[in-house]
Amino acid sequence: MSMFGGGFGGPGGGPGSGAIAGMGGTGTRRQGNTPFAGVPPELAAGVTLLEASEPDHPDPAETFSHAPDDGRLTLWSLLSGRPGLLVTAAFAVGVEAMLLQSGPYLVQVGIDHGIVARDVPVLVFAAVAFLASVALTAAATAVRIRTSGRLAAYSTRDLRVRVFTQLQRLSLDHYTTEKAGVTMTRMTSDVEALQQLLQEGFAQFLIHGLTMVVVTAVLVHYDATLAAITLLLVVPPLLLLTLWFRKAADVGYLRQRDTIAGLFTHLTESLNGVRVITAHNQQDRNVIAHREVVGAYRDANDHTGRINAVYGPGTSVIGLLGLAALLLIGGRMVLRGTLTIGELTAFVLYLNAFFQPVQQLVQLYTNYQQARAALGKLRGLLGTVPAVREKPGAQPLPPASGRIELREITFGYDLTRPVLRGVNLRIAPGETIACVGPTGAGKSTLAKLVSRLYDPDSGTVLIDGHDLRDVTLDSLHRQVGVVPQEPFLFAGTLRDNIAFARPDVPDEVVHAAVDAVGLRELVDRSPDGLSTILHERGQSVSSGERQLIALARVFVAEPRVVVLDEATSSLDLRSELRVEAAIQRLLEGRTAILVAHRLSTARRADRVIVVDDGDIVEQGTHAELVAAQGRYAAMYATWQSHTTPG
Amino acid sequence: MTAPPRRAPRAGIHPDPTKSWLRRAWPIVRAHRALLITSLTLSFIGLIVQVQIPDLVRIGIDRALVDRTEGLEKYVWLIAGLAVAQGVINFLARLYLLRTAYEMEYDLRNLVFGHFMRMSYGFYDRVQSGELISRATSDIRAVQMYLAFGPSILVQCTIAGIAFALMVSINAPLAVVAMLTMPVIAVLGVRMRKAIFPVSWLIQSRLAGVATVVDENIQGVRIVKAFAAEKRQIDTLARAADGVRWAYTTDARIRSRWMPVMDNLPRLGLAMVLLVGGLMVLDGNATVGTIVAFNSYVLMLQPPFRMLGMIIMMGQRAAASAQRIYDILDTPAELDDPAVPVVPQPRGDVRFEGVRFAYPDGTLGLDGLDLHIRPGETVALVGATGSGKSTVARLAARFYDTGGGRVLIDGADVRDYPLETLRDRVGIVPDEPFLFSVSLHDNIAFGHPSATRDQVVTAAVAAGADGFIQELPEGYDTVVGERGYTLSGGQRQRVAIARALLVNPPVLILDDATSAVDVRVEHEIHEALRDLMRDRTTIVVAHRLATIGLADRVVLIDNGQAVATGTHAELLATEPRYGRVLATEVHA
Repeated sequence: MSMFGGGFGGPGGGPGSGAIAGMGGTGTRRQGNTPFAGVPPELAAGVTLLEASEPDHPDPAETFSHAPDDGRLTLWSLLSGRPGLLVTAAFAVGVEAMLLQSGPYLVQVGIDHGIVARDVPVLVFAAVAFLASVALTAAATAVRIRTSGRLAAYSTRDLRVRVFTQLQRLSLDHYTTEKAGVTMTRMTSDVEALQQLLQEGFAQFLIHGLTMVVVTAVLVHYDATLAAITLLLVVPPLLLLTLWFRKAADVGYLRQRDTIAGLFTHLTESLNGVRVITAHNQQDRNVIAHREVVGAYRDANDHTGRINAVYGPGTSVIGLLGLAALLLIGGRMVLRGTLTIGELTAFVLYLNAFFQPVQQLVQLYTNYQQARAALGKLRGLLGTVPAVREKPGAQPLPPASGRIELREITFGYDLTRPVLRGVNLRIAPGETIACVGPTGAGKSTLAKLVSRLYDPDSGTVLIDGHDLRDVTLDSLHRQVGVVPQEPFLFAGTLRDNIAFARPDVPDEVVHAAVDAVGLRELVDRSPDGLSTILHERGQSVSSGERQLIALARVFVAEPRVVVLDEATSSLDLRSELRVEAAIQRLLEGRTAILVAHRLSTARRADRVIVVDDGDIVEQGTHAELVAAQGRYAAMYATWQSHTTPG
Repeated sequence: MTAPPRRAPRAGIHPDPTKSWLRRAWPIVRAHRALLITSLTLSFIGLIVQVQIPDLVRIGIDRALVDRTEGLEKYVWLIAGLAVAQGVINFLARLYLLRTAYEMEYDLRNLVFGHFMRMSYGFYDRVQSGELISRATSDIRAVQMYLAFGPSILVQCTIAGIAFALMVSINAPLAVVAMLTMPVIAVLGVRMRKAIFPVSWLIQSRLAGVATVVDENIQGVRIVKAFAAEKRQIDTLARAADGVRWAYTTDARIRSRWMPVMDNLPRLGLAMVLLVGGLMVLDGNATVGTIVAFNSYVLMLQPPFRMLGMIIMMGQRAAASAQRIYDILDTPAELDDPAVPVVPQPRGDVRFEGVRFAYPDGTLGLDGLDLHIRPGETVALVGATGSGKSTVARLAARFYDTGGGRVLIDGADVRDYPLETLRDRVGIVPDEPFLFSVSLHDNIAFGHPSATRDQVVTAAVAAGADGFIQELPEGYDTVVGERGYTLSGGQRQRVAIARALLVNPPVLILDDATSAVDVRVEHEIHEALRDLMRDRTTIVVAHRLATIGLADRVVLIDNGQAVATGTHAELLATEPRYGRVLATEVHA
């Protein structure tokens, strides 16, 4: 922006553009409906062309180990990873800053020594030198944009992978205590803040810093007094105005973001709940409620608009008043003969050169602060030591028979409230155990400890006599298969989802798993068979089929031990029968722990254990427990009475 | 809370779809013309004032410093005065311009939203809500930006013409030299944006791709860990990150082609002014002041030319966005209130006469359904998946119109009722209830916002929801939904039942409304409902034997027709199809 006040926003982009872009990211993604679901038609041709020019990236060669990250991360470590690019970029920045300010100097030389002194070769020399400096500046700018862009792109690529690797290391407790949105922010906007700073921020900071130094030096060289006066006339008021603007605009943008978030929420809810609104005749009330949120958003925009309207013209007034003062003081110096006209012209032109740097430096400082905050949070994440971690020197678990033993297990998600208290349990190889009990009694927790998603606070879990903490996580997870309560499908093909544990298995294995769980019908129905891409979150398959896919996944993994947390949501009877049959087949010859929510499932287990209040209160076969007339028998009686019409 | 209600939109779009998009948007612009014209006039005056300043500098230098015929002070004060004047004028111009933009946006948003609320079920069956949200956000913004900023940028460009005329009057050849680069800047500006937009889009889309991988790994963390798939997930992320990296380096490459030229072209103009102007001064055809002034003009005129490129691209995007918005606004509401409404006394009598219906995607709903449900009767509809039992509910409240036959409520065709009256009379609880991000009280009182807490609690007790609500830390004031407390499926269903009970409709339809409630709780709800159903017509779409047990009469639906009716025991004894449906579809 020049002192003549072009452009619409102040530093920080156009009004509200940031707020919109920000919301587009988080707001709609949450709906599972990214705004980038399809290429907008007006950009389609350009995007196709671009993507066609993309080379094949080599297969990633990342490594993964459970050894924790060293947690060291600084701006310098991000910059110095590619010294060649860094040196080139720094050099280009230096050249650019120096050359940019040669223009007014050459104009001064041309006027004083060429025009006033009537020396044509000098005038021509000055003009040609100016032209040459313009060309060189352009070249330096090109090099700077390209190298700093590459530097930023490569180092944030590595950072993304590093942070994600750390996320893979962290144990389940991190995911239950930290909100998903916060973890997401680390991988998205925090890395993006660094990307922005590396790509443009540093280069701009150097250019503008150097510019101010160079311009001041040139002006002092002409006339120290006038230089001091010029600086005093322009820089302090401009700095004050810009600082005020940043502060006011930040408050304004925050208000914009809040109100647009409100608008988004209301819009999304109204569309998702439109059937309820219609059924209850609340359309008019809702239209008026929407006016309220749109009105709040408009007011926020208006507020920010006012700030923008002050800033642009305000800087221009400061610049022009500075010009007038410069003309007055400098003109008198010219009249006294202490300054040449060319020098005065140079001063007038250099006056402009202070505007961008002051505005940009204030803006960059904000960016820098954001990047530093992001850096701090990322450092915190990278420095987190996972709760479940591999012992140094842990050995792989040898092929297990599936004998499981829990000794004096005590565990709580927070230390003050134990969920399990001194639980002892032995499971023979090939035995199927069903855990039943009220919600929150600890039966799911028991299952999670066996697959070592958590470590017990005290006591030991043993598989074939090996403490789970003494074996490598990888080898343990290959032998203990898990079917979670809510089957989760990944974006990708049907095959990717079924062969999740062993992607390299031959197709026959996958087909065998498909037949074993009775998914043949789905595969035949799908247009590309096993290669059919499942929609986001697997919504193109029914919930019964999703459960079957989760079971097929375990078939491919071929674990010795199966931990199965039964889904609570009800299926129609036909699907339920299919799931039950698949489970039966899966458990043949394997040790199994079922967390049963339906007593029909428990009935078929080799042994039922009733978990209540953090301990096992009853155990035995279904028949034994019913005969014992205890807690299980009571549960069974209620269940039976409600499954016949009343 | 005493603030007056916000205004309604001032204008709608031009109804004729054959008109150009700008012509159709014109009524909205027109509604804010006073503000817009004031702003444009002010910015025009401001620019005129601004253009004078470099000229004053020129005259001042030439007369006071070179020729020394006049004092300098006069010019300095003039410049200072004009500087303040243009500042004030430009402030007002911008203020009004931005306000116009936001007022138009307000109108557009409320117009589109109002239209959304009038659309029928059929519309929402066809269109994804994500699509609608994107139209209501980015498309509206694209249009509003263009409508408000377009004229302003054009004003700034015309000022370039005026400045050019002024320059020509000072020194014509030098004016041409100085301005030579401007058209090039405009043309390159357009082409640069054309080159950059696709790559910016690509960056955003790939960042979204990374976010998807992360999201999936957060949601599916148990599976990844349980199957030791960490390494593979890292590879997936690395691939996405490589995609982002490539998009960013490509962006840098493209910008490195355009930005240096765009940034340096105006300086090329300055160098030319020095060379040509200097030679002219030496020949006595120009003054030193002219060179100084022209330097300022070149710098001053550069932003409008840069923005010319922007306005052209904005225009293209706005046209595309406007078309998408018009597509929505041009979709008529499919259901209308009758010209001559009929409102019989409410009794609770429901009658289907030869009703046929097919969904927009061609799925058969009903195929000649005849059914009469007497006031106060409780009827269970039983049938296989896709037999049409849920369709019965949707047609009774006229969420869709029948494709043949009639639906009569209290003896009058549903199409003859005002929609509002009809929907007050027929209450539906769907199987997948939707809760809003407001308190439980407001969710239950949704259909009857002025209900007292006592009324809300009574409804909640009847729906078996009071117990768990009382246990929540803030009870009925607990905010639920996406931005609040998460309830289980069964709890949500109970809240939805309470919502319907509070309205107290003469006809209540439960469309598999207790499917996620566990058996014991369902039993309690049924006990409560039994009392409430006594003087109310109730239709239950049932998937469980216990639910069927509530009904006075069971109707078996098959292939869109009512094929048998009777009590549970009668049907079981006489109707083999009923037994088959129970065996495969109904929970024990």
